[in-house]
Amino acid sequence: MSPPSMMGPRDRGAVQMPRLLGRAALAAVILAYTVYTIGPFLWLATMSVRTTEEISRDHYAWPKTFHWEQFHQAWVGSNFATYFWNSALVVVAAVMVVTLVGAAAAHALARYRFRGNRLVYAVLFSSIVFPPQITLISLYQILVGYNLYNSLFGLTLVYISLQLPLTVYLLEGFFSRIPQDLFDAAKIDGYGDIEIFFRIVLPIGMPAISTALILNFIQLWNEFLFAVVLITDPEKRTLPIGIRSFMGENFQDIGMIAAGVMISVVPVILAYIFFSEKLIRGMTAGAVK
Amino acid sequence: MATVTLTNICKRYEGPSSQLAVDNVNLDIADGEFMVLLGPSGCGKSTTLRMIAGLESISSGALSIGGTQMNNIPAKDRDIAMVFQSYALYPHMSVAENLAFGLRRRNFPGAEIDRRVKSVAGTLGLEPLLARKPHALSGGQRQRVALGRAMVREPVVFLFDEPLSNLDAALRVNTRNELIRQHHRLRSTMVYVTHDQIEAMTMGTRICVMNGGKVAQVGKPLDVYWQPADTFVARFLGSPPMNLFPATLVSDAAGYRAQNEALATPLGLWDQQTLARASAGPITVGVRAEDLHLNREAFGTSSLGKVSGRTVAVEPLGAETLLLIETPAGECTARLPRSISVQPDENIDLFFSADAAYLFEGATGKAIFNDKPRALYPGQGLAQ
Repeated sequence: MSPPSMMGPRDRGAVQMPRLLGRAALAAVILAYTVYTIGPFLWLATMSVRTTEEISRDHYAWPKTFHWEQFHQAWVGSNFATYFWNSALVVVAAVMVVTLVGAAAAHALARYRFRGNRLVYAVLFSSIVFPPQITLISLYQILVGYNLYNSLFGLTLVYISLQLPLTVYLLEGFFSRIPQDLFDAAKIDGYGDIEIFFRIVLPIGMPAISTALILNFIQLWNEFLFAVVLITDPEKRTLPIGIRSFMGENFQDIGMIAAGVMISVVPVILAYIFFSEKLIRGMTAGAVK
Repeated sequence: MATVTLTNICKRYEGPSSQLAVDNVNLDIADGEFMVLLGPSGCGKSTTLRMIAGLESISSGALSIGGTQMNNIPAKDRDIAMVFQSYALYPHMSVAENLAFGLRRRNFPGAEIDRRVKSVAGTLGLEPLLARKPHALSGGQRQRVALGRAMVREPVVFLFDEPLSNLDAALRVNTRNELIRQHHRLRSTMVYVTHDQIEAMTMGTRICVMNGGKVAQVGKPLDVYWQPADTFVARFLGSPPMNLFPATLVSDAAGYRAQNEALATPLGLWDQQTLARASAGPITVGVRAEDLHLNREAFGTSSLGKVSGRTVAVEPLGAETLLLIETPAGECTARLPRSISVQPDENIDLFFSADAAYLFEGATGKAIFNDKPRALYPGQGLAQ
């Protein structure tokens, strides 16, 4: 039973009023933000099932007939399947390497005391601070020099180098908070350094690794600048450049672009759904008191 | 089962301060012994334990376990198990997986792993918890899983690094008794680090008191309590700590007495030659709080020492009363019966049997051991 209240109903109302107002204000802000972010996406979704002609007649109208064939046309007729698989290949490979190498590097920086540890960390950090565009010309020259220009493998290497510093930085912060006692316990249980990395650090670091995975995936899936500079062959284009090719000088096929963008968004949403549960769940709870 | 021998063990950390964290520690731990490393924070006890475990390198000296030199053998090959203060349970594994993790690495057959996990879980009452993750356990349960993880390995030496510090008071007493029971059952060599003197006194076959990286004294718990090797050990063991007063030795027709402006006591336990040697310099007199009494009649005819001062605080604890008095020679605490009637700010005299007095060298703090046994502590031999 709850203790008897000393306040009358009017007093309680007076106390609750500001709280209600606060909640209403919060809800209004959240609603406004949701409309702000979901709105353009919904608009795009409606445009993807309308023809360009319909769109130019009325930009914001609800589709009268749903032209699902636009997706088929984009996928088959406009070479979107090729762009999609190119993107998938480059991004999945880059994200896998970045995650594994980044996690290993972060673990080494977080756990081992060696000469130059902080220097390596500072160099990595400085490469996050500077805009990535400044490396564009030098990366271009390196790729040309090694015969990797206009190749998906070359683009994968560039993507790895772009995302690695942030990944190491992100994971180092998380890994350094894993208690040393866990490593000592595993050592006494008979495990070597590499086994400890795979059996202790990676599973415990899953929330941070999932965060890094999603960030890197979204970033690289949408990456345009490096792809457009380093890939010239139409057969090797990634999705963002593929979508760009719908934009002619005098005519833009808005309906097709919208359908293409909708296709390209699907993997991002899937990646988020798949990893966000791990992202939210804190797995270190209960490790140490 | 194994002996553990530390010979001239030193630990020096790299860096600007070149002070030794562990300074020339020599210690022989017998097979099946429960050795407690006791000392305040930063005294080097945990570092010593971690060197035995193989988690810290040994700067100099030799460590052997079961007669084999261990200095350069990695932790995983030392056949030791360790229980950490933080428990260090793997958060992503269930209790059963935590218990089996070490056995799997050592390629035990599945049936043997199952048997051992079940047996240890049965001993420690962990059976209903085997499927749970550590975050779903209480502090006491986590502690038992940590202990179980060590036991399941059946190692030659168990190492404990303050395993009870994170438990609440009631659970600590239970777990302490559980550990004592397990030691009696397993008869393994155990090395136990703590700063808690009650744990040390109740659990240890012997205790090793450490201070400033050095071993201050090693001995059976009551021997160390009765015959502290120096003023540090005298004050560290005992609650409240032993009262210490700077004093001088004076001799008259009745023999030597120790005295200062607040205290005077005859010294019946020491030979005249010992006292004559000690009288060359300043000395410190020690009296334990429980040896101080309000009534001189309680002692009959035995020779008495006396401390005079003014009461500062009276702390009734229920079972007893602590009396804090201020004397010209420093503060002094007495542990008295609960029934005393003393008011604060009152001038009083406290008496103690001359057999309860301790002497230490004033300059070094080292004990001047008594030549005759203390009648107060029957069955106790003379210090070495």
